[in-house]
Amino acid sequence: MRIDQIQSLDEADLTQGLHQAPGSVAAGFPSPAQDYQTAPINLTEHLIRDLNSTFLVRVAGDSMEGAGISHGDELIVDRSRTARDMSVVVAILDGEMTVKRLRLINGGVVLQAENPSYPSIHVQGLSELDIWGVVIKCIHNL
Amino acid sequence: MPAGSEAREYIALIDVNSFYVSAERVFDPTLRGRPVIVLSNNDGCVIALSKEAKALGVTMGQPWFKLSETADQLGLVAKSSNYELYGQMSDRFVGVLGECASQVQKYSIDEAFVKLTGTPTELLTWAKMVKERVWKHLGLPVCVGVGASKTLAKLSNRAAKKLDHLGGVCVWEAVPEAHREQLLSNLPVDEVWGIGGRMAKRLIGRGMYSVKDFRDADPVMLRDRFSVVIMRLCLELRGTPCLPFEEETEVKGQLIVSRSFSEPVTTKAEMAQVLSVYAQRASERLRRNHREARTLTVWAKTSAYSSDAGNEPTVTVRLASATADPVTLTREVKALLPKLTEGTRYAKAGIGLTDLEEPGQAATFDLFADAHEDRNIAPLIESIKSKWSQPSIGLGAAGLKVGQAWEMKREMRSPRYTTQWDELPIVHAK
Repeated sequence: MRIDQIQSLDEADLTQGLHQAPGSVAAGFPSPAQDYQTAPINLTEHLIRDLNSTFLVRVAGDSMEGAGISHGDELIVDRSRTARDMSVVVAILDGEMTVKRLRLINGGVVLQAENPSYPSIHVQGLSELDIWGVVIKCIHNL
Repeated sequence: MPAGSEAREYIALIDVNSFYVSAERVFDPTLRGRPVIVLSNNDGCVIALSKEAKALGVTMGQPWFKLSETADQLGLVAKSSNYELYGQMSDRFVGVLGECASQVQKYSIDEAFVKLTGTPTELLTWAKMVKERVWKHLGLPVCVGVGASKTLAKLSNRAAKKLDHLGGVCVWEAVPEAHREQLLSNLPVDEVWGIGGRMAKRLIGRGMYSVKDFRDADPVMLRDRFSVVIMRLCLELRGTPCLPFEEETEVKGQLIVSRSFSEPVTTKAEMAQVLSVYAQRASERLRRNHREARTLTVWAKTSAYSSDAGNEPTVTVRLASATADPVTLTREVKALLPKLTEGTRYAKAGIGLTDLEEPGQAATFDLFADAHEDRNIAPLIESIKSKWSQPSIGLGAAGLKVGQAWEMKREMRSPRYTTQWDELPIVHAK
C-alpha cells in the first residue's frame, strides 16, 4: 500500500518535470536575456495608489498654470485622500467641478487659483466646501 | 456573558440608493437635488429615478414617449442608460466592500452581501464605516442592513432605507426588541425577500398578513402547505441562516443575451446579423466565466403594442457537445431563421444558453468536435478586440464595422467618464 503511493508520486513528479521544460528548444545560441525576462513597467501600478477610488479628469482653463496644470492636461484624482492645506483639489462650485489649491489659513478656507489673473475664492468653512477629490498627479501634454 | 454580546456570524446587505442616478450624479453635480430619471434600452421606459423624480409622481416603467412631452415643464432630466459607467462603478463598489470585509458576494449590479462577525455594537460601527467609505471613495450613497441571515439582512436594509432616523444603517440585533416586533407587525408579508404577490395572497388567505404573522407561523405547516423554500424563509426570519452564502459568478445556470431594437427588424438577413452578434457576445461571456453550454434557445418577439403582436418564434437546439465556441454558436443560432416571417416587425430577439458546465467536464469525442475548435478562434478574436476595440473584428455578419440600424438608441447618454479616454469628466480651471 505504502510502496504503491510512493511509486505513483514519483511518476507524477517525473511527468511534471518533463512538462516544465522552459519554452521551446531552439537550435542556436540561447538568448542571454532569457533568465531576466520580467513584465514591462506598468504605469497604473506607479501612478495610482488605490484603483477603486481613483478617477481621471481633464482640465479646461488656465487658472492653475502656476501649479504646472495646463488646459487639456489629464489629472489623476484620488478620492480616498484627505485634503490638507496646499492640496490641489477638485471641488464642486456652483454645480461645476473645479480644480484649485486648497489653503487653510488661520481658520479661513480659501480656494486659490495659481494664476494672478484669477481671483481666489473664500469659503465660509471647510464644511461648506464640497471636495470631490485630491489631485495626486498631472499628466501634462507637451 | 450577557446575552447578545458574544461574537457570531452575521450577514450585511449593502446597496446603492438609486444606483444609476447616483452614478450619474458623481460626475455631473448639476444633477444633484434635481429630479432625474434613467431610461431603459432604446430610451423606452423609466428604469431608475431619484427621489425628487418620485416626488413629481414619476414611477418605474413609465414609457418615455409619454413623459417626454411634459419633462421640460416639470424640470425632469432624462438620461439614457450608460452601462459602461454603471458597470465600472459597480465593480468599484464591490472593490471598496472587499477592502472592508473578507467575504463579499455580489448579488446584483447595485447590491452585495458581506459576511461579518462581531457584537451588535461592533457591527453598527462597521456598518457606519462602510457607508462613509463608499461615499468618500466613490461618491455613492448606500444603505447597510445587518442581520443573522440573508433574509434579515435584506429586511434590515429595507428598514434602513425607510426609517430616516436610522441614517441609512440598520443592525437588526441592535434595534430594541419592542421596535423590531412593532416593525414586523407593520410590514405586509410581501415585504419578505422572496415572497411575491401571488404567494403573499396565499399566505394572507391563511391569516398571515404581516411579516410577524409569517415569522410566527409553524414551519412544518409552511412546508406542508406551501414549500420547503417558504419554510426556509420563515426560519431565516427567526435568525437561522438557511440560504447559502456563496460567491457566485455572473453566470449561474444560464446566460441570456437579449436586447430590444431601436428599429424593428423585418428581414431574415438582418435577423441573421443580429443573432450572430448576440452569439458572439454570448461566447465571450461564457468564456469569461469559464463555462460551456449544452443547450441553446433562440427567440424573436414582436412588440406588444404592434399589429403583429403575438408573433414569438422560438427554437431550442441541443448542441452536439458543450461549447463556448463562437463559430459553432453563430452557426447554430441560424436555426431560428426558417421560423421567421419576412416582413414581420420584430422588436426584440435573444439567445439563451443553458446546461452550463465547466470546460472539460464531459469528455468530448473527436467525432463531434469541429475542426476549427482546435484552432482556438475565440481567444484570437478576443485578443484582437481587446487591442483594437469591440467592433474591430467579428465572424460573418457580426464583423461589419458600421453601426447597424437596430443597435441600441441612447440619445441622452452621458459621457462614458470612466472607460473612454476622450470622454473624461471636465474640471474647470477658471
